[in-house]
Amino acid sequence: MQMQPRGFTLLAFALIFALALASVASAQPKTVGYPGLGIEPGTPGGPLTLALPDAPPRFFYYGEISQPSQLLSQQMFDSLVEYDLETYDLIPALARDWDISEDGTVFTFYLREGVTWHDGEPLTADDVVFTYEQIITNPEARAGDAAQFTFTVEGEPRQVTFEALDELTVRMTLPAPSPTFLLQQRFFIMPKHKLLPYSVEGGAEPADINDAWPTSVAPSEVVGTGPFRLSAYVPGQLVRLDRNENYWKVDDAGTPLPYVERLEYLIVPGTEAQTAQFLAGNLDQLNITGVQFPDFKSRELAGAGFSVIESPALFGSPPHLAFNFSAADPVLAELFSQAEFRRAMEYAVDRWRVIDDVYNGLAELPGTPTAPVNAAFYEDTTDLFNMYDLEAAAAALDALGLIDTSGNGVRNITPGRDLEFTLTYGSDSAVFTDIATIIQNDFAQVGVKVNLQGIMATQLLGTGMAGDFEAIIVALGNQPDPELRKPIWQPGGALYYWHRATHPETPGDPPNFDAMFDWERRIFEIFEQGSVEMDAEVRAANYREWQRLNAEYAPVIMIAKPGNVAAVYDHVGNFVYSLGVIPGYNPVPFYYRR
Amino acid sequence: MLVFLTRRILLFIPTLLLVSAICFFVIQLQPGSFTDRYLDDPRFSPETVARINAQLGLDRSPVEQYGRWVWGIVTRLDFGFSFFANRPVSTMIGERMVWTVVVALVTLGFAWLVAIPLGIYTALRRNGFTDAVASFVGYVGLAVPDFLVALLLVALVLSYGGTNVGGLFSPRYIAEPWSWAKFLDLLNHLWIPVLAIGTAGIATVMRQMRANLLDVLHADYVRTARAKGLAERRVINRHAVRTAINPLVSMAGLQLPELINGTIIASIVLNLPTIGPMLYDSLLAKDQYVAMTLLLFASLLLMLGNLLADLALAWVDPRIRYG
Repeated sequence: MQMQPRGFTLLAFALIFALALASVASAQPKTVGYPGLGIEPGTPGGPLTLALPDAPPRFFYYGEISQPSQLLSQQMFDSLVEYDLETYDLIPALARDWDISEDGTVFTFYLREGVTWHDGEPLTADDVVFTYEQIITNPEARAGDAAQFTFTVEGEPRQVTFEALDELTVRMTLPAPSPTFLLQQRFFIMPKHKLLPYSVEGGAEPADINDAWPTSVAPSEVVGTGPFRLSAYVPGQLVRLDRNENYWKVDDAGTPLPYVERLEYLIVPGTEAQTAQFLAGNLDQLNITGVQFPDFKSRELAGAGFSVIESPALFGSPPHLAFNFSAADPVLAELFSQAEFRRAMEYAVDRWRVIDDVYNGLAELPGTPTAPVNAAFYEDTTDLFNMYDLEAAAAALDALGLIDTSGNGVRNITPGRDLEFTLTYGSDSAVFTDIATIIQNDFAQVGVKVNLQGIMATQLLGTGMAGDFEAIIVALGNQPDPELRKPIWQPGGALYYWHRATHPETPGDPPNFDAMFDWERRIFEIFEQGSVEMDAEVRAANYREWQRLNAEYAPVIMIAKPGNVAAVYDHVGNFVYSLGVIPGYNPVPFYYRR
Repeated sequence: MLVFLTRRILLFIPTLLLVSAICFFVIQLQPGSFTDRYLDDPRFSPETVARINAQLGLDRSPVEQYGRWVWGIVTRLDFGFSFFANRPVSTMIGERMVWTVVVALVTLGFAWLVAIPLGIYTALRRNGFTDAVASFVGYVGLAVPDFLVALLLVALVLSYGGTNVGGLFSPRYIAEPWSWAKFLDLLNHLWIPVLAIGTAGIATVMRQMRANLLDVLHADYVRTARAKGLAERRVINRHAVRTAINPLVSMAGLQLPELINGTIIASIVLNLPTIGPMLYDSLLAKDQYVAMTLLLFASLLLMLGNLLADLALAWVDPRIRYG
């Protein structure tokens, strides 16, 4: 379904067919079932209480990038396509089908019939066009994604265009083919009849779109097509969502989804408070980490009435150790730029100890950086890893001429200068603190002195981007397609923070190729090609080469890939792990109360 | 009296300006920027960050940002808006004000109700066994941070199978209208913060009351009262305690800003919908106008509290008069 090139006649035929179908059936519910994930027909009814890690800043998804907004929007809105919960393939959602023209530039989406907004208004192609044209591609929308729809063709910026062909058909025309365009269409579709006054089309200024749906809005104003609708908000305490009785999904047995009557999102910031609320039975489910596993598992075994569930993770953020190629200190910058040095230090990173002691075994060896569970793109590079071996680390450092000449137990870069640097980590995270300490100890054993500097975990990436570090531990999220993480991993990209010399002088210009190593230039090309190459196999092969280059030259040292861990009370049926914030990956409609 | 009041209130203005300027300066010194929080999102692009900075006025010079903020307050009582919530700061504070005041007043009331009788009792039985126990408990209460007491109480409740481990209500009552059951549920939750936050206050007030009363008990007029043949009860209640309690009035004034910043950590641990956690979050996120407004508000409360205490002192203590 993803790639079905069809001619114009076929398209016309499909249109006629859609129209014919429209006259036959008034609604097109979608049947979904995942026996492979252990999902069974559930029983309707009952509330579920889940945790919201913070008060939502507002209810308008495109007005602010924030975890609570994302979690809530996931339940209240739908996108054109969504993820298959089991395979991560793209499957129909609000679009029941789509066509892609042979040259890969024209996407036609056929909307599901009979889908209504929470206030009863029908969903139409106008809503979809409005969402894309007036919100997502509005550069002033704080959580929009205008850049995604601007292509550079022959050096000129060109825009994707959107048209409503009829009530239920939307056409998007791209200036150039894009292999990941469909993957991007997990944007939540918004109601035009509610948001028009905030849009340019409705006469407002572009930035006014951010004023939509503040938390003081009447709940009935916030309408989506999603499985739940906003029912009440008590500031700082609770968000209540009620079941959408007209939702368009049904289970295998024909029972309408979602099963539960109500979702109560209890606002509980902080791991300790969340743990207490879960153990007290006030939360039905909680995502936890491997660090908390022993405590939860022992309570489970003592008969607390809940289970701890683990699964390998695709999404989620594997931590890495980065050395600053462009460190302020020229001696360190020179050293950190050498792949031989980074590979030598890799010998002293005890991945298995991190997996066993920090994550309590609930992690695996990382990809570089693709998640091992990502069958489409993962390349097993573990044979290229320099696994923990302090003697090998010492020998490799010796070979680089880094020898302790002063006799103080620390190797010398120059006769008067110890091999010593600062390692920045997130001191408010138990995981980062433990990893940093393990690294500090092991590095000391091979004569490398590490001074720890703790900062807030939320500021790690900002500190990295500012180049204000020598070595740092950061965790960046995995996505199904490497293209989605291009700004991180493409040399010269906005988030390629460990080698800032590759950044362009002014943002938007081509990167500084002179500063790149040969392998970085190759990675740059792989990502450029990945954005335009339509052949899935060629893309995958290229990205596999990129992962090998990453393992061989270790721009960063990947440490471990933590798994999904969640605690769920036994009265919750059909639990499937989700981060909640990945648009289009939403198992909550299947949850039910036993 | 009027002159005194006017002078004091006029003095507020330069003080508040100075306080807000220093706060703004310190917030600017803090590393990172408001937009750092977006970096890891796949929708992040440098262009978006530039746009957001322009929307928020963060591309202007710090002096200009500060100037505009102060001008907004002076001309239209506009305390700016929250970057994060895109709403006026004043309405956000308003949303949380009720619970903040309720929790603070109940806590203060509880602390004083326990502390003053205890202070009197221990002063009268100085160096006795009860005095030693009360003093010891008092010192421990002072030494142990309130958030630790909160955590211990939560652990205790959990180990007894309780469900009231944070917040002010059970989830099922939060969005419900008021009822008798909801009120009982509130009480069932409220005692934890009241006890956790109140303990430290009890110790302070009790020690102060005890010391004051001890001073007063040796004063001439108390001896005179006794010599007149008054009953001991009357001597203590009418003469000694009334004088000894005066310094506590000024202490009460100083506790007003505690409404906002006195109990931040305990409020976070206990997940209370009060202003403390809001200040903490805004400082971390560099949501500068929220942070500055709250700090400004705290310093205003401190000065108001001081002023009120001075006025109350003049009222209860005939020896104090303001020109």
